[in-house]
Amino acid sequence: MKKLLLVFFLLLSQLGLAQTGEIKREVIGRDIGQLKGIEISGRIIDEITGEALAGATVTVPELKINKITDNNGSFQLTLDRAEYNLQFRYVGYETVNYPITAVGDGRISIKMIQEDFQLDDVVIYGSDPDKNIRSTDMGAITMSMNTMRELPPFLGEVDIIRSMATLPGVSQVGEAAAGLNVRGGGADQNLIQFAGAPIYNPTHLFGLFTSFNADAVNGVTLYKSVIPSRFGGRGSSILDIQPKAGSIAKWGGDLMVSNFSGKVGINGPLVKDKVSIRGGFRGSYINWFLGALSNPDLKNSAANFYDGNLVISAPISEKNEFTYSYYTSYDDFAFASDTTVSWKNNSHSLQWKSIINDKIGLEALGYYTQYDYSIFNRSGINDFDLNSGIKDYGIKAYFYYKFSDTNKVTIGGDFKNLELQPGELVPSQGTESGILPQKVQNEYGRESGIHFQHEFEIGEKFGMSYGARYDMYGYYGPRVVREYAENQPLSDGTAISETTYGDGDQIQTYNGFGPRGSLRYSFSKSSSIKLGYNKMYQFIHLISNTATIAPTDVWKLSDNYLKPQIVDQISLGFYNNFRGNIFETSIEVYYKDIQNVIEYKDGANLILQNNLETELVPANGRAYGIELYVKKNLGRLTGWASYTYSRSLRQVITPFEEEIINDGEWYASNFDKPHDFTLIGNYKVSTNTSISATFGYSTGRPVTFPEAKFDYTGNNLAYFNRRNEQRLPDFHRLDFSVNFKLPGKGKFYDGDWTFSILNVYGRKNPFSLFFVDESGAPPQALRLAVLGVPLPSISYSIKF
Amino acid sequence: MLRKYLYLLLILPLAACIDPYSVEVEGGSQLLTVDGFISTGPGPHSIKLTRSDTYGSVFEGLIRPVSSATVIVRDDLGKVTFLTEDSQDRGVYYTPENFSASVGRSYTLQIQLIDGKVYTSLPERVESVPEIKNVDLKVVKIAVEGEILERSGVQLIAEFDDPADQNNFYYWRTDESTFVLKTRPDLFTPRPSETNPSRDPQPKDCCIICYKTERLGNQGIYLEKDDIFNGLSTGVPAGFIEDDGIRFVDTYRTELQQLSISPEAYRFLRLVKQQVEISGSVFDPPPANIRGNMISLDNPEEIVLGYFIAAGENRKRIYIDGNQLDFRQPVVIIPDDCREIEGSQLDPPLDWNP
Repeated sequence: MKKLLLVFFLLLSQLGLAQTGEIKREVIGRDIGQLKGIEISGRIIDEITGEALAGATVTVPELKINKITDNNGSFQLTLDRAEYNLQFRYVGYETVNYPITAVGDGRISIKMIQEDFQLDDVVIYGSDPDKNIRSTDMGAITMSMNTMRELPPFLGEVDIIRSMATLPGVSQVGEAAAGLNVRGGGADQNLIQFAGAPIYNPTHLFGLFTSFNADAVNGVTLYKSVIPSRFGGRGSSILDIQPKAGSIAKWGGDLMVSNFSGKVGINGPLVKDKVSIRGGFRGSYINWFLGALSNPDLKNSAANFYDGNLVISAPISEKNEFTYSYYTSYDDFAFASDTTVSWKNNSHSLQWKSIINDKIGLEALGYYTQYDYSIFNRSGINDFDLNSGIKDYGIKAYFYYKFSDTNKVTIGGDFKNLELQPGELVPSQGTESGILPQKVQNEYGRESGIHFQHEFEIGEKFGMSYGARYDMYGYYGPRVVREYAENQPLSDGTAISETTYGDGDQIQTYNGFGPRGSLRYSFSKSSSIKLGYNKMYQFIHLISNTATIAPTDVWKLSDNYLKPQIVDQISLGFYNNFRGNIFETSIEVYYKDIQNVIEYKDGANLILQNNLETELVPANGRAYGIELYVKKNLGRLTGWASYTYSRSLRQVITPFEEEIINDGEWYASNFDKPHDFTLIGNYKVSTNTSISATFGYSTGRPVTFPEAKFDYTGNNLAYFNRRNEQRLPDFHRLDFSVNFKLPGKGKFYDGDWTFSILNVYGRKNPFSLFFVDESGAPPQALRLAVLGVPLPSISYSIKF
Repeated sequence: MLRKYLYLLLILPLAACIDPYSVEVEGGSQLLTVDGFISTGPGPHSIKLTRSDTYGSVFEGLIRPVSSATVIVRDDLGKVTFLTEDSQDRGVYYTPENFSASVGRSYTLQIQLIDGKVYTSLPERVESVPEIKNVDLKVVKIAVEGEILERSGVQLIAEFDDPADQNNFYYWRTDESTFVLKTRPDLFTPRPSETNPSRDPQPKDCCIICYKTERLGNQGIYLEKDDIFNGLSTGVPAGFIEDDGIRFVDTYRTELQQLSISPEAYRFLRLVKQQVEISGSVFDPPPANIRGNMISLDNPEEIVLGYFIAAGENRKRIYIDGNQLDFRQPVVIIPDDCREIEGSQLDPPLDWNP
């Protein structure tokens, strides 16, 4: 009877609601009879993780107002005394309807819950649907991990760097090249930072793989055009990878196995609702199988890698949050030889975000990162270890002050200390060895910068952002620096004297003023035009004599001879969204001027080289291009198409005839690929199944063909003269993947299966052509194709 | 089979493939090429002149000798040595037999072609070279794709005391080699013909043991500079003799030349080595323009390829006893009179002294 009564009562109350439309309405503020100008602030967080949701939309339908939450998930509304039906929306989260009665100043705290990912409609835009139109940021692209998961995986894994390369203006040298080339810049012109700490070699398996575990990453932002003034030190782009915090509510984890590697992750509250932790580990088991192969080169090869992450996040109050992040990666490989190459990254960072009040906040970060790489020779004759490394630690901090929602000033500064060990040769047989221990002088540099930026809107139509960064760089002893005879090329033969600098002595300084600015004019809510200008300085250089980032490459600081790279970029873009932001389109053009880019003398010797200046020549660089981009954000079929026409050119003119390359004319850089087209599609077949495909086409990259063959000591040698005058055949490749769930009850059965095929039609895209004279064959060109066959992979992942 | 395929799946990413690729190469220019070498060792020394041609097989372009040139070597004291062209081997010019370079002297090579064009090298200074104390041997195996049997050979390791007060640039070559050639005349089987249709062995009376003399061809380029072993007693790989199943059946004799070369010659040879040893990996250095030390006196813009080396030399003769090697290729049986083999003779060289 009681039960019946209860049911009846419940029914009645439901009916009552339905009939009267009476909703439980929260009264905000203390009623002091205020009628206008009621300030309501609030913050939106993820209910599970406690993470602030930046870029969520707050809608007041009654006033037709939309607000976007800031980086801290906060928002402010100024309302009149009335009832409102607030709506909170965020991509991938369930929309929250929140009726209020505003009677006085007050705060709201909103917790949003992630939608189950089995959406019929996949949404691939970042946080904020019309951000591309409204923001004054130019060329800043945020890619969510969900978007990356929609792309066909590389060997069963989401690959962050490869995903970025599908964007317009971003390319890679080839299939085994880890570095990115952003708008005609070299791979070292990108600052790749994880949780604020720079990572010097983000690769596994000699560049096949990106060494960031996608499960440990929250989101990735690439700045390629107007780079916010708080970033500096690299010429072309900033790739900012944010770690993912654990849940403050409950423990969980994930597990993935593929035919190549496996990973496991766990996260949960260390202190419930206060401190969360997330740890992850990924490793390969490729070595177990190498020995079983018949190919002798592979049989005698070894390859190992792993990476690990740890994030501890303590949102100790609504206004203060500390995040500690640790990242490590390790690799070694020996390809059919007695020589093993190994490298490892270790980085720590501690971040503090604080909101002092509604107008003022600050972010501070300290990091320590170390990159070590070694070559071990175990041939039995004069065995040695060759060790190199970089230690980089620094702090950065900035304040912001908001005059209003659309008027914000940021001021900050940063400092970093760099110590490079370019190479130390250690004989491994002790005193018996026939080689000497040797050490290239360490390099010491300090980089600091101060910056400010002011973003504001003038009415509905105009938005503007301007700022500047002042970089200060010093190169310090201890070091012995050579001087060279005037009016002669730098070489061992023209060295005339040496100066010894003591510990901490300043050897050389460079300062640079880098203005940034962008201007936006909106034609309407869905279309705008933006103009931007940017100047960047770069004091650390990757000295690489290969087309890709190799583990044997040397990093070098600017010194007396090697000047900082200076990049000027001007860009213009037109942005238009259609049909309620379902379609996003953009056209951007840019022109870039690069000073002091590094080129190499023919046959430069870079290893164990104390005087690198004798092997390098300064070059001018320029790059320009047009980028077209169409993206469909919503629906069963989502994806994008991008087309870039761009050139990346170099010019080497020096007073010395023997150093001039290609007669001082402009020539194509190693990664100049004029036409570059990418088409990506993802189709949701059903709730449990989706398929996706990626097609990429680009002009073949430049190569140098021999102009003749000649005979020397019985070898038919190739005579190369002008660099990069021919091209590899065009590159094109289709990748395909299917993702499905087998619906089931058990936790361990309803995981995600992903099956993918890279290079579906097995094109042998050449990575390089090289010219050899082997006995038994005429001198000829050989092609190296990294992915010469269709490459299937399968992976299975579960969450618990 | 399934297992194999499974492995393939797992491994393919590493199985990058390399295959011949035909490229359209423009017609190459015919540039004068100098392959010149003199040393403090016994003469005669030779200079070879050729012209470059289109890259590719001989059908694309044929490297031709440059004949009838006037070739001289001049030292810094003004002493001139004329070279004479070999009557058989066109384009190869020899110094007199009694000519040897001297340590401390600089030499230039001068060439006048029959069309009157004059070329010269930059001066090359001859530096002293330490003595080879010993040659150590090491058997090296090289895996070959698709073959069960590995290739193998003997690596020569030159042991010497590097002088501490000099910046040394080393280059090693092997001179003429002689080895005991063993054949099986008892198994001689001529090709069946109308007059002699038998397919059975028709043993010859002679001869089982000969001494074959050969010059080792391209077995790699061996170079080193003393940056990493200055002043030490060291050992450096200095040569490689491939085991073809014939060479190391009994005794093999070769002569290792240890040469001191100029820093410029070292740089040149390093680029040659780099090109010869390119293997096709993603880390290969880009092609480099190999600049030599020859210039045209008529037209400074004209490109002349190759290099003229003047080296200090120390040589050491070694005997390799095949039985001492810890790995040898299976013996290749030659079913004939050993005298029939090119370069072989019945009597050992006069100074054969294993």
